[in-house]
Amino acid sequence: MTYALVRPIRLDLDSYARATGLHPEAVRRLVVLGLLEPVSDARGELCFSPSQVAAAARIQRLHDGLSINYAAIGLVIDLLDRIEKLEATLRNLSPRH
Amino acid sequence: MAARRDFYEVLGVGRNADQDEIQRAYRKLVRAYHPDVNKDPGAEDTFKEVAEAYAVLSDPETRRRYDAFGHDFRQVPPDVDPAQWARARAGAGAGAGAGPRRSARAEDFGFGTAEGMDVDLEDLFGGMFGGRGRRRRGAVPGADQEAELTLTVEEAYHGGRRALTLPGGRRLDVTIPAGVANGQRVRLAGQGGQGSEGASPGDLYLVVRIAEHPRYHVEGRDLHASLPLAPWEAALGATVAIVTPGGEAKLKVPPGTSTGRRLRLRGRGMPNPRGTAGDFFAEVRIMVPARLTDEERRLFERLAAASRFDPRRRS
Repeated sequence: MTYALVRPIRLDLDSYARATGLHPEAVRRLVVLGLLEPVSDARGELCFSPSQVAAAARIQRLHDGLSINYAAIGLVIDLLDRIEKLEATLRNLSPRH
Repeated sequence: MAARRDFYEVLGVGRNADQDEIQRAYRKLVRAYHPDVNKDPGAEDTFKEVAEAYAVLSDPETRRRYDAFGHDFRQVPPDVDPAQWARARAGAGAGAGAGPRRSARAEDFGFGTAEGMDVDLEDLFGGMFGGRGRRRRGAVPGADQEAELTLTVEEAYHGGRRALTLPGGRRLDVTIPAGVANGQRVRLAGQGGQGSEGASPGDLYLVVRIAEHPRYHVEGRDLHASLPLAPWEAALGATVAIVTPGGEAKLKVPPGTSTGRRLRLRGRGMPNPRGTAGDFFAEVRIMVPARLTDEERRLFERLAAASRFDPRRRS
């Protein structure tokens, strides 16, 4: 992958499903639930940026580890991201007086 | 992996806890230590430990066998009588170790060392994620972790190698870039949570915290320090030496400098790997001797008589 820096890497549905260990149908379902952020390529097929592999892994871990259903995971993820942002802001604020 | 903790101890329940109690303890712990909720590097191991303990204790049959045989229960054939087993073990301990070797035991369930072990992997992963169902999933990459790294101003200024111990007990040698800022996240690729079934691990982020310093105060990349001056240095001007993290610097104090004036040493603050370094600000504080010598007192009295300077005069 020597062209990686020149061209943004996109994973098509099949390679994304392989990378995440999900069934392609499961991927579609997660997209419909608004848990994954796909990008459409020129032909309108589902494509994913490589960062979405980690997103799918987080969804699976939350689902398996805490028995959260997929619809609720959207909320959990939003809240976790918000907490992370707030904590980062707090960290940058605290040393100033 | 250290010595294995008792599963009841892991869940924090008594040995005669009922299923509801076990389930409740498990749910609470798993919420607190889930690697996506708790970024602490030690959380993942606790999470796995809790999940494994629950997998065993939540099933009455495996729980009964665990109670009888301890951590070895998976190696014990199903038809062995617990009382007989206990006797055999006691005998083996005294005689020429014919029983299972205790020393090898700690590794038996070690994640990632499963090759050649007679532990059922399927069992292990089913247990790991808490579900009792035998869902077989693909490999799941590991979670990102976060740990705080406290540095002194000097360490952040110079950067360099540093050994640190993570909350989970793991030791790491990290190279800190010169000029890291407070709150900055240093990414260590692949040092986060393990992925399952050989999937790629997550990343570890070290959040830099710059410790309070007796002399310097850090604001972004700028450093602030106070500069004590004698009254005559402040009035007449002087060139004084001041210590900065980058070494001693010469600072020119212009004549007629009062307390509160900030003198800037451009570029003597924290270095910036991508851009210009911060500045060093020295804030003037005029100090007087606590006790005057006779000579000093005489000179100050002459000055008081001769000067018409009134710092409180309204203009």
